[in-house]
Amino acid sequence: VSIITSPLPLSHTIAPASQSEFADIVARGFSAGTPIYPLAGGTGLSLGLPARREGWGLATTNLNRIVDYPARDMTITVEAGITMQALAGELLHQGQRLPIDVPQADVATLGGVVATATSGPRRYAHGTMRDYVIGICAVDGRGVAFKAGGRVVKNVAGYDFCKLLTGSRGSLAVITQVTLKLRPAAETTALVACDLREVRDAEPLLANLVRSSVTPTAIELLAGPEWARDPALGPITSPVRARLVVGLEGTEPEVKWMTAQLSAEWRHAGVSQSRVIDGSTADQLWARLVEFPAAAAPDLVVKASMVPSAVARFVQTVLDLDANCSLQAHAGNGVVFVCFPEFSAADALRVLICGLQPAAVKAGGHACVYACSPGTELTHQAVWGPMAAEAAVMRTVKSQFDPKGILNPGLSPFEC
Amino acid sequence: MIATRLPSLIDDLRAVVGVDGVLSAHSDLVVYECDGFVIEKNCPDVAVFPRTTEHVQAIVRLCNEYEVPFLPRGAGTSLAGGCLPVGGGVMIVLTRMKEILEINHRDRYAVVQPGVVNVWLTQALKGSGYHYAPDPSSQGACTIGGNVATNSGGPHTLKYGVTVNHVLGVEAVMADGTLVQFGGPAEDDLGLDLTGLLVGSEGTLAIVTKVWVRLTRDPQGWRTMLGIFESVADATNAISAIIGAGIVPAALEMMDQGILVAVEAAFHFGFPLDAQAILLIEVDGLEAGLDHQRDRIIELCREHRARDVRLAASASERQLLWKCRKQAFGAVGRLSPSYCTQDGVVPRTKLPHILDRIIEISRKYNVRIVNVFHAGDGNIHPILLFDERDREQVTRVLAASGEILDECIACGGSVTGEHGIGVEKIEFMHKLFTADDLDVMRRVRDALNPRRNLSPAKMLPVAGACGLEQRHPGRRAAL
Repeated sequence: VSIITSPLPLSHTIAPASQSEFADIVARGFSAGTPIYPLAGGTGLSLGLPARREGWGLATTNLNRIVDYPARDMTITVEAGITMQALAGELLHQGQRLPIDVPQADVATLGGVVATATSGPRRYAHGTMRDYVIGICAVDGRGVAFKAGGRVVKNVAGYDFCKLLTGSRGSLAVITQVTLKLRPAAETTALVACDLREVRDAEPLLANLVRSSVTPTAIELLAGPEWARDPALGPITSPVRARLVVGLEGTEPEVKWMTAQLSAEWRHAGVSQSRVIDGSTADQLWARLVEFPAAAAPDLVVKASMVPSAVARFVQTVLDLDANCSLQAHAGNGVVFVCFPEFSAADALRVLICGLQPAAVKAGGHACVYACSPGTELTHQAVWGPMAAEAAVMRTVKSQFDPKGILNPGLSPFEC
Repeated sequence: MIATRLPSLIDDLRAVVGVDGVLSAHSDLVVYECDGFVIEKNCPDVAVFPRTTEHVQAIVRLCNEYEVPFLPRGAGTSLAGGCLPVGGGVMIVLTRMKEILEINHRDRYAVVQPGVVNVWLTQALKGSGYHYAPDPSSQGACTIGGNVATNSGGPHTLKYGVTVNHVLGVEAVMADGTLVQFGGPAEDDLGLDLTGLLVGSEGTLAIVTKVWVRLTRDPQGWRTMLGIFESVADATNAISAIIGAGIVPAALEMMDQGILVAVEAAFHFGFPLDAQAILLIEVDGLEAGLDHQRDRIIELCREHRARDVRLAASASERQLLWKCRKQAFGAVGRLSPSYCTQDGVVPRTKLPHILDRIIEISRKYNVRIVNVFHAGDGNIHPILLFDERDREQVTRVLAASGEILDECIACGGSVTGEHGIGVEKIEFMHKLFTADDLDVMRRVRDALNPRRNLSPAKMLPVAGACGLEQRHPGRRAAL
């Protein structure tokens, strides 16, 4: 069954229909020493360095059942191959949601989202995937099926492999089933936006938001051509370098109060004009904010993390480096996505190794390649930046789950 | 071995931390023979009090050199024996590492040493508009290092999550003395989430020497309510109805009639002593939404036959209500000379069932059981009352405890929501996890703690064995 267009060096792809078949196939790979690349929606495959060793694709596509949905307990147990859109649909029937933003939700699968710890604008209020996975079933690199956590929202029995596997990029185990904690769906939503003449004007407003009595769901600092023509944000009429968008969710009275309060706070802070976006226009803008890292197909997407107070300065550094970049910062969390429309491997030293990476490290974080166009040959250093000594501990942990190194070999930052 | 080389080890430890940083007289060490779980006791051979991360590293290296077991300890409030020094050895007491190193309001984090008492951080943040969300009932004594080790919860975890949801990163000394840092002030660290692995690992993988914690915005307002019910079933059904209506209260706690009597005697709040159950319900957030949530909750409680729903009229009344709840365990001393607090979890909708079963089990074993617990999370804390001087009672309490936890497992729950496995619940690990599940956990433990000399005999049962047989169920209330 080959259903996925993949940049991975796959001899063939298998899509088993049961968790025990998964274990059998990984066990066979373990015996033969054959690499195994877990995949499903194929939306996260451009992360990191390209895979080199030929192996089998192991697709979770046929593993997409809802195992148990006790809605009144606000938990759900689902197989890993379910698409995020299908999952969201089921949850919405019960007025619930998993408040994790995922681009390409119609193809992205839960297993992939857990493995990559995908997140989006709403992480400011709702956290990330690690905050929602309460139980997990997986197959380790020996073909041994194991579980951790459980089906209750509070549980400290045993090591928390739910956290360890979240974001592990399939390097430790193939995730086959996940139990999630859920939240009620938001009653209503609105966004409040303003334009900034200078990027540095953002920092006082961002600092104010930390002290504000408004409780934003998302704090987005946007810059570059992609956002200059956004239909919801309106055309740029004056010299504008960046746009600040605050997403609000809650009941009607809450959102109404926050909208008025935030507009007033901004007026007080010297913002001459702000705009409230609601209704279907708001839904469309939310969608663009969620899709941004995957929407355009630029040559290079970089993801950087840092302390939130460094975001405006970092955005300025990026624009100084390449004024054609488009950026989206989850500014409240210090997470920035940068899209370079044009990039070649020859730019790696200037843009990445001597540019974004040291800027992010200086701000307490790091910058790594989130996606790049096929064929761009990048080094480990260019893709991941400097790895701390802690990588040795990560390798030790990996060797216990995957002693022969057959799961997604070469795709993790801690691998040499 | 340790007896002959002990004087030399003590000298070497004194060289690291100074004479006043080492305790070795038996009379001094008795304090450290157990934590809040007093069933099994064992004195360490020596207790050492580092003041810096370098001290911890040097101590750990000495322990390896002398081939003695070692383990970290905070305030010793663990209820599962996480701090029991199995096999003796060196107890590394972290209470002198008690500095709040940094509070950064702009970036919403604080950096603390492991010996910082939970409530100190809350106090240090008072008036800043931010707080540290995890608030275990023992927060006046327990340390943040200990909270990290057990992934502690508390009444407000229903909305705000447990310790791990608020830890951005840790600095830790590994079992061989290597210093590492996972995570830090920025989110989304590269590579594996080893912060997430270390939190809740009960000191079996590393000794945490520094913690980056996320600060949480104070809510604009609160509405704290007291729902008074004629039956436990009505109260638990109201809980399901509230959550089912899409309301996530900040806290949703239940006390049954048995505990109410003790709490009322201790704090004189004015609880109705004939009520079978009360719910302490708190919603917080924007003022603009609170009255609506309050009204909805009152309506749902009434629909489920609440006799009365009272609203805390002032901040001080709210505080008194929370004091009653958080110090309920202390009030149990009025009911019985000894008690044993259990820590089971069931899916929230199974609460009526598990509480019925607890009543049956109470009758079956002739053991009085009172309940005060985190109802919104399904995290039950049945308190079994007994007199530990009576061996026959002790046996019955043990059997009743085991049966309650088995029932939690049968309901699809867990045997611990926030206290940890420690030594107390090792025998239940086989019931929650398969041999393969435990083997993967053991492989990770053995890779990071290869000599198994860091916190030995904790959390994971010995491969092939059925775990240690528990000899005693509870602790003396007077302690």
